[in-house]
Amino acid sequence: MSLIEVRNLSKIFKTFDRKEGVWGGIQNLFVRQYRDLKAVDAISFSIDQGEMVGYIGANGAGKSTTIKMLTGILVPTSGAIKVGGYIPFRDRNSYTRTIGVVFGQRTQLWWDIAVVESFQLLKKIYNVSDKDYQERLETFDQVLNLKRLLHTPVRKLSLGQRMRCDLAASLLHNPMILFLDEPTIGLDVVAKENVRQFLRRVNQELKVTVLLTTHDLSDIEELCRRIMIIDKGRLLFDGALAELRERLACKSQVLLELKEPGKVNPAALGLNSDIEFKQLDEMRCQFIFDKRIVPSAELIKIVVNSLPVRDVVLEDTTIEEIVREIYSRGGIE
Amino acid sequence: MTTTLAPYLAFARIAFLQILAYRLRYFTGIITYLVNVTVYYFIWKAIYRGDTVIQGFNFPQMITYVAVGWIIRTFYYNNVDREIANDIQQGHIAGKLTRPVSYQWMQISQAAGESLFRLMMFTVPTGAVILLIYPVQAPRSVSSSGAFLISLLFAFVIFAAINFLIGICAVYLQSVLGLIRAKYFLIELLSGLVIPINFFPDSLVRWSQWLPFQHISYMPLMIYMGKVGGKELASVLLVECAWALALLLAGKWFWHVARLKLIVQGG
Repeated sequence: MSLIEVRNLSKIFKTFDRKEGVWGGIQNLFVRQYRDLKAVDAISFSIDQGEMVGYIGANGAGKSTTIKMLTGILVPTSGAIKVGGYIPFRDRNSYTRTIGVVFGQRTQLWWDIAVVESFQLLKKIYNVSDKDYQERLETFDQVLNLKRLLHTPVRKLSLGQRMRCDLAASLLHNPMILFLDEPTIGLDVVAKENVRQFLRRVNQELKVTVLLTTHDLSDIEELCRRIMIIDKGRLLFDGALAELRERLACKSQVLLELKEPGKVNPAALGLNSDIEFKQLDEMRCQFIFDKRIVPSAELIKIVVNSLPVRDVVLEDTTIEEIVREIYSRGGIE
Repeated sequence: MTTTLAPYLAFARIAFLQILAYRLRYFTGIITYLVNVTVYYFIWKAIYRGDTVIQGFNFPQMITYVAVGWIIRTFYYNNVDREIANDIQQGHIAGKLTRPVSYQWMQISQAAGESLFRLMMFTVPTGAVILLIYPVQAPRSVSSSGAFLISLLFAFVIFAAINFLIGICAVYLQSVLGLIRAKYFLIELLSGLVIPINFFPDSLVRWSQWLPFQHISYMPLMIYMGKVGGKELASVLLVECAWALALLLAGKWFWHVARLKLIVQGG
């Protein structure tokens, strides 16, 4: 039996349409037309102990709602969740002792006081012994460099520093599972790398099962072998990242801006025939290609050497594009 | 027991520390309370001209009632309702619900930490200044001061439990600010902070006996002044205890129901 079992999970929010204007406002007071909003629509999956799974989707796709149901915050409208034998919403009090949760968008530390005070509070809440507390802090410090942050009020930390503290805070009680909702949002490259490195160790050395949501495909590439893609509340894909790549040609694109107006003859460049070419207007053209076949450096080199180029922009496939691609194909198969 | 209580003591402690970060606000608060007492002093002085006793209160007693009423308000007062509404509307509640603690007791213990801070940094200095300026009478007896302190604890719990109930309304309402304001004025009036309850029309006095609000200010003050004593005292304390428990239970039930309807905004 898997650690996390989710069957036909749905969450429907009731919203009402607000009418505009003064008269509409008055109408709103008396008559409301409710509308069901399916945030999560009959999804099923299971996650085994020790896995590190990436959960991706665009804004409003239902990622956070799923996480909030998995962590016992929201009650499912229908369907079943079982995590390590607990039903999260019903067993919230005992269940939450076994999980760690990080919300990238907001800290769970107390804003105006030193970080260490929040840690002390968590130590009390989870009844962590002095010895365990010290040991864990020591372990986290090795990767996260916490020591010099501990006596700073949270509001004075940078976003990256704060995230490091939030991560440590979520693991002080040695949870079985760690849920992370957008842990790298808003972080710079260095801070992102720091977080990823830490998560990798948490998963590999401490054997914590990790489920993380993200916008950033590179998080997934670096961390997770398995991804789940959700859109409009439905699970579109659940499997290995490599598999997704194989099934969908992941196209990158190079946008060129020319020095002077002109027509580009792609045939003259002697490019691989898999590269798609489009002239957008007199000044700009676009190459769409598969990185696995043509390395981007190679393409850019050829183009820059043979054309009067003013500017080159390289764009990778975004999650939004993958999702769009899945849709345009009418599913993953 | 120690392991179940420990988290809540820690919440009280952290609330204490959190307020310490804003201590400046409290020094201006002392002045506000002083002004309030001064205003009531002159109002009552004008009312008492010529009269020696109104509804069983002579002038020194009335000043004691007003001054002690404001002094104890610095202790029992809290903003639990605002904190909860904020948690719900801003979505901070999500993080708090991932902790293995009761949300209700978390809020009430934080309020207790805040009250402890107020007691030290606010109640005592405000009280000292007011005692220096105005002719405030001491408690009637040792036993009435003991009972007064107990009733103050109940006042705190009743006030916090009512605020918890109001705060949870934010699950259902888009904005609870109006409700919070209405409650604020209702409690100022019905707790007897502004006017002793026996000054109200008879029907309101009767109603008031069946409501919890008079136990926030009026009853503790009547106990302080020795106007409630003997057998009556025991039954008043018992009623206060019952109200505190009933309101806590009501809050627990309301939260249990509201949690099913909870929507977490953002993130």
